[in-house]
Amino acid sequence: MTTTLTKPDQAASGPRRVRSILGNQFVGATLLAVLLAVGWEILSGLTFVIPSPVQTMSVLFKNLTDAAYLFDVRVTAQSVLLAFVIGTAVGGGTGLLLGLSHRMRMIFEPLIIILNGVPKIVLYPVLLPIFSLTGSKVVMGVLFALFPVLINVSTGVQEIPRVYWKLAKSVQASRRQTLVHIIFPAIRRPLLTGVRLAVSLAVVGVVLSEFFATRRGLGRVVLQSYSHGDYPSMVATIMLLITISFAISIALWQWERRIH
Amino acid sequence: MGNLLLSVVSTVGLIVLFTAFCEIGVRAGWWRESVLPAPSTIFGTLATLLTKGQFWEDAARTGFEVAVAIVFGGLLGFAAGLVFWKAPLIGRIFEPYLVSFYAVPLVLFYPVMIVLVGINAMSVIILATIMAAIPMALNTAVGLNAMPPVYMKLARSLRASPRQALFAIAIPAAGPFIVAGLRLAVVYALIGAIAMEFTTAQAGLGYRIRYLYEIFDNNQMFAYIVMVLVLSGILTVLLAVVERMLLRGRNL
Repeated sequence: MTTTLTKPDQAASGPRRVRSILGNQFVGATLLAVLLAVGWEILSGLTFVIPSPVQTMSVLFKNLTDAAYLFDVRVTAQSVLLAFVIGTAVGGGTGLLLGLSHRMRMIFEPLIIILNGVPKIVLYPVLLPIFSLTGSKVVMGVLFALFPVLINVSTGVQEIPRVYWKLAKSVQASRRQTLVHIIFPAIRRPLLTGVRLAVSLAVVGVVLSEFFATRRGLGRVVLQSYSHGDYPSMVATIMLLITISFAISIALWQWERRIH
Repeated sequence: MGNLLLSVVSTVGLIVLFTAFCEIGVRAGWWRESVLPAPSTIFGTLATLLTKGQFWEDAARTGFEVAVAIVFGGLLGFAAGLVFWKAPLIGRIFEPYLVSFYAVPLVLFYPVMIVLVGINAMSVIILATIMAAIPMALNTAVGLNAMPPVYMKLARSLRASPRQALFAIAIPAAGPFIVAGLRLAVVYALIGAIAMEFTTAQAGLGYRIRYLYEIFDNNQMFAYIVMVLVLSGILTVLLAVVERMLLRGRNL
């Protein structure tokens, strides 16, 4: 009986190569997560304000059956998705231009590095009258997500070996062909790194904006449950946000590592 | 050298151009003064800001939070990086978390922190410290792991003590990565601290912007925003210059 139970489990864990990559690390990281959950459980026993992991989970599942809560989830998810797509597109395009042109890089790179180091969230009150409550958080998410893609793509394009360009010239590839068949494959790794950072930064940008002012969204749910003293709901929502962006990051990171 | 000049001139030029555009936009009535006040108005308020005690209190609070976070985060991250290098297993276990929490998403834990610790400088400092520690730990570990194995062989053949091997060989070898990690640590601590203050706090530059927004004091608010942007911009430039100076003469 035990053999039949364990066998499909092993078979389901995929090709051996993938397993060897995950192997130890997956087990270790899971153990660390369990350890953290135990620490959280102990901490919740010591203070009354923090709900235990089990309580948080049950509140989360109850929330997820609530139509109003699901609406907030959808609002945030849509804003994040939009911010991520626009941010990646704008960042990737600008990064490509800067990577291809030495002159452009000389002109714009310092300003981009400065803007990257600036706490962009303080611009939120500036965006509000221009893009209204619904648009501003998307714009903020774009501002957050833009820079890692831009910088990674720009660096990636600069680091393409010269022989690739020679190849493109010798086969008389058109601009589009060069882009699709030479540049994209050559920069796929830094691009993926940028995309991975952009996902979690888009989440942060949108949720921070919702902390500040918005009509609907999970950031508002968090702050509202904070001010009502409904800590289980607050922690459950934060954990939902963190877990989702964590899961996406990890998936992209694994993909990134498989590309050699 | 000509490249550097082009960069400096164009950066200053772009900023001046943008400022001029805003000034003209308001004067020509393309947008209302309440949406984006004229830069001349903002700069006027900015000058009076510097004479106010309130501003210096906020700046001191944010500066204190960021400074403490950089010191502790830097040390903590550096120590963690050393551990990850010496004990690769621990490094591999922590890696997925460090990589995916690449500092900023930790801001989302701020409401939990203020419930636990209270709305004070401490809750900001704790999270900003962790945010500063992450890039520092990753960079230190990557830098040490990228060191050619022959360096440690040299240490062994010279019978260097572990301390000597660490301080005379390993740390200088990983220097560029560690310096870059420290630069990121400063940036993340600053971004994190301001973002958290902006969410809820009792004092600090981020908090003041939110407060001024809520009482509709537009001119003051824009002065504060410009001030935060200018200060953090100067910090970024200074860090880049310091990094370049520290690494001068290395064959990179």
